[in-house]
Amino acid sequence: MNIKDLNKSKLPIVKIDNNLDKYIGKVLFKKKLEQANKILKTVGLPKPHST
Amino acid sequence: MKLPKYKLSADHSLTVYEFVSEGPKGKIIKIVQYSETNLKDFFNLGFGDKDIVTGAINDTVITNNDDSQKVLATVAATVYAFTNKNPNSWIYATGSTKSRTRLYRMGITNNLIEIMQDFEVYGLRDDQWEEFKIKVEYEAFLIKRK
Repeated sequence: MNIKDLNKSKLPIVKIDNNLDKYIGKVLFKKKLEQANKILKTVGLPKPHST
Repeated sequence: MKLPKYKLSADHSLTVYEFVSEGPKGKIIKIVQYSETNLKDFFNLGFGDKDIVTGAINDTVITNNDDSQKVLATVAATVYAFTNKNPNSWIYATGSTKSRTRLYRMGITNNLIEIMQDFEVYGLRDDQWEEFKIKVEYEAFLIKRK
């Protein structure tokens, strides 16, 4: 893949940083996750797209 | 989104992403995390600032670093990266404040044609999910790779 292709690509280039591995398995946004679980439990899932 | 973005770093599992916002307030570390919910393949998108000294993460702080579009485009880029690795995943996203949720909605609206090429997008309104429509206020969003 050349520079032109890279710039067109929607997929970003992501550098792996070992320092971020300390977050694996930890919930950094606990309150948000709790809210998400509550909404998904009460509202459920969307109906599939008609198109 | 073909908008300027910040360079991204991630952990090996590609669930935690970090980038540095640069603006009048200086350099601010931003962190994005995808956490699995109680529903299999449903992930919450968490997003906030990381204190450079303490490492504490805050998702309610208002940074005002004059780069909200670039920050939003970078967060959107993490959605591409995450769903590329987890193509069957659903992403749940909402702002920590009403104004931040509105910012997400504007970000989706402004790039809807492009987003719809790759994702199904739903908005939560009156305790129901509906296909995302512009000019409608939503409480949360669900996104899935097509």
